[in-house]
Amino acid sequence: MSPAGSWEALSSALHAGADSIYFGVEQLNMRAKSSNNFTVDDLPKVAELCAQYSAKSYITLNTIMYDHDLQLMRNIVDAAKANGITAVIASDHAVLMYAKKKNMEVHISTQTNITNIETIEFFSVFADVIVLSRELSLSQVSDITREIKRRNICGPSGKLIQVEVFAHGALCMAVSGKCYLSLHSHFSSANRGACIQNCRRDYIVTDKETGYELEIDNEFIMSAKDLCTIGFLDKIIATGVEVLKIEGRGRSADYVHTTTKCYKEAVRSIADGTYTAEKIHQWTEDLSTVYNRGFWDGYYLGRTMGEWSSSEESQSTKRKVYLGKGLNYFDKPKIGYFKIEAQSINVGDEIIITGPTTGYVHAVVSELRVNDILVQQASKGDCVTIPIEEVIRPSDSIYKLVDSRTGNSK
Amino acid sequence: MIRIIHLREKCIGCNACVELAPDRWKMSRKDGKSVLVDGEEKNGIFIALVGDDELKKNQIAAKMCPTNIIKVEKVQRKS
Repeated sequence: MSPAGSWEALSSALHAGADSIYFGVEQLNMRAKSSNNFTVDDLPKVAELCAQYSAKSYITLNTIMYDHDLQLMRNIVDAAKANGITAVIASDHAVLMYAKKKNMEVHISTQTNITNIETIEFFSVFADVIVLSRELSLSQVSDITREIKRRNICGPSGKLIQVEVFAHGALCMAVSGKCYLSLHSHFSSANRGACIQNCRRDYIVTDKETGYELEIDNEFIMSAKDLCTIGFLDKIIATGVEVLKIEGRGRSADYVHTTTKCYKEAVRSIADGTYTAEKIHQWTEDLSTVYNRGFWDGYYLGRTMGEWSSSEESQSTKRKVYLGKGLNYFDKPKIGYFKIEAQSINVGDEIIITGPTTGYVHAVVSELRVNDILVQQASKGDCVTIPIEEVIRPSDSIYKLVDSRTGNSK
Repeated sequence: MIRIIHLREKCIGCNACVELAPDRWKMSRKDGKSVLVDGEEKNGIFIALVGDDELKKNQIAAKMCPTNIIKVEKVQRKS
């Protein structure tokens, strides 16, 4: 299950082979502030796109709810049902109750913090899929899935409850997202989708008596590294979970594409017995090229209590630099036409193209022409043609990938 | 006089402005976003001209708005 915080991310997830995607509309979701959310009017197009790729679509409706939110919540559930969205991801009981009344499939959000079998039994009255709390170990997850089968706990559909867990992406210092820090310091509530991520910064502790200031030794003590389970995904699947969630509705198309592709390949490899150390190494390397705060294995292996990121910035090994926009695509010769608006582009550069329909396209510049003349380099102001296998569009942006440390493109 | 400006579209319905300046703000039960009382709309932006006595409360509301969509400014009187 992949995150879709924008049309670009949605297309990238579908192209990369996501079995399902999740997205938010209006303001009642956990990325109300940071992601470019969809509106109720976008639902038919989202559902249609997902249907084209036989992917399921889940709408997030998982903030805390106030009285004044109830009508909007009901409108969103009604619109989701009418437009054929697969399910609603919810945590507030008002949402569960209304969705059940409307016969809309419900998945229980991680915000509900489910950590035991009896709570699963309780929520099975409403939901067919349950996302577990992010803090459980593998054996705790296994116990829960085994007990679901043994006790034959079924959801409203009559089928056994499916368990979903986080596979990749940001974790935070709070128990499955219930955090007050952002509200406390900046009046911006994480539980209303407006987390400002102040845990991701470094802090100084002041001794009130003497005024001495101590910079905290391991720097970003509250900023957890990102979860990455690709190296022990076989163990996760062996617990009996059926949905793997990739976090990141606030993240870009290249992140969504790369994470979806790697995890999809890993799941397939596990199924056909080709999950090897070499492949894991390659996936980990690929995952490192997109936004991350450094990786750790979360709480699944039960060893480390918390691994903290050493910087606020992304630790990705590659950084994307904006070059310009798409202008046209010539189908027969498979050539993309772009306007370079910043920096310069060279033969041999690694480029990515992202857009609402295109999603994510990766290529290496094999040939570069300005006014039909072969060149080695083109700069700001030039219009260039580049051979590209996939169709690109005027709504697309083109970037080059550079090394994060050196800034060099090769 | 003060002018209160509200870029309503970006509201996430957190209720903070209503708590801080209840005479000037209320929550819409229709779409869950806040409403600037007596605000007039122009291109999606709501504006209300109100007395100086409301300055403080609304300045706090503006400061506390998590999405920074409330602006409060003093209106210079023409002499």
